[in-house]
Amino acid sequence: MRADLRRRSVLAAAAVTVPLVAAGCKGVGGLGTLPKAGPDVAVLRGAIGTEQALIDRYRSAMAGSPGLAGTLGPLLAQHREHLARLTSMLIEPPGRSPTPRAVSSSPGTAGTGSAPAATLAVLEAAETAAARSLTARLALAPPALAQLLASIAASEASHALLLRTHRAPG
Amino acid sequence: MTSATGRTAAALQFALAAENAAIYGYGVAGAQLGAAGRGLALRDWTQHEVARDQLEAMLTSLGVKPVAAQPAYQLPFPVHGSQAAISLVGDLENRVAAAYLGIVALDDPRLRAWGATQARACALRATTWLGRTAAFPGLSPGPGTAAATSPSASP
Repeated sequence: MRADLRRRSVLAAAAVTVPLVAAGCKGVGGLGTLPKAGPDVAVLRGAIGTEQALIDRYRSAMAGSPGLAGTLGPLLAQHREHLARLTSMLIEPPGRSPTPRAVSSSPGTAGTGSAPAATLAVLEAAETAAARSLTARLALAPPALAQLLASIAASEASHALLLRTHRAPG
Repeated sequence: MTSATGRTAAALQFALAAENAAIYGYGVAGAQLGAAGRGLALRDWTQHEVARDQLEAMLTSLGVKPVAAQPAYQLPFPVHGSQAAISLVGDLENRVAAAYLGIVALDDPRLRAWGATQARACALRATTWLGRTAAFPGLSPGPGTAAATSPSASP
C-alpha cells in the first residue's frame, strides 16, 4: 500500500490534479480513481532498486574481504554512477523521501569471512542477474530510458566478465 | 515507406556503417598486434562480419539498399604499436555500441532486445581488450561522471 502511494507521488503535478477535479464529478467514473503511475516509472524504480541492491552487495563484500578492494572498488563506483543517472530521471515532488530501498533477496550474500573466490562468484552471479533483469524491462521503457537500461546492462555484463577473469586468472 | 519503417531503416544503416568502420579498424589493429592479439582480433573481426551480414539482411528485407563499406576510414588517432591498436578497438567497440543503442530506441521490442544484445557484445569485447569496464557503454558519460574506471592508454 505504501509503495503504491509513493509510486503515485512520482507523477507529474499536472497529472495529479486530474482526479481532484474529477472527484466532484460522479458521472466520469473512469476518472474517479487516482491514476496509476506509467509503466516507465515502475521500470525506473525497479532499475533503481536493482542498483541499490548491487551497491549493498558490493559494500558487504568489501567489508568481508578487504583484500578485494582494488578489484571491487572501481565496479562499485560504476554502480553508484548507474544509480545517480537513473535517479536523476525520476521526477519526485520536493520534500519526498528518497526511493525506498529494494529488499535485497540475498541467497548466499558474500559477507564477512567468505573466501575471496566465493565472494567474486557471488558478485558475478548478481551482476549477471541484474543485467538480465534490466534487459527484461526494455520493452516497457520509453526510448531514452531503454537506451540507458541497455547501456547499464552491458556494463554489468562486462563487470561479470571482469569478476570471472579475477576469479580464474589465466 | 511508413515513418516507423524509415526510422528503423535509418537506425539499421547507422549500425551497419559503424560495423563497416569497425571491420576496417580491426584489420588495421590486427596488423599491429602480436600472434595472441591477432588471434583475438580475428575472432572479434569475424563477430563484426556476422553482425554486418545480419544488418544487411534486415535492411534488404525492409526493401532498403544497405550502405556500402568505404574503401578506407579516417581513424580517430594514429595507430602505431600494440597499445594504440588496443586503444583503437576499445574506441571502435564503444562507437558500435552507441550505434546499437540507436536500435534500442526503436519501438519494436524484438529489435530493442537485439540491439541490447549487440551493445552487450561490444562491451564484453571492449573489456576483454582493455581489461576494464565502462559505466555507460555506448553513451556519453552523465554530468559529472567518468566514462571508464581509468583513463585509456594514449597512442
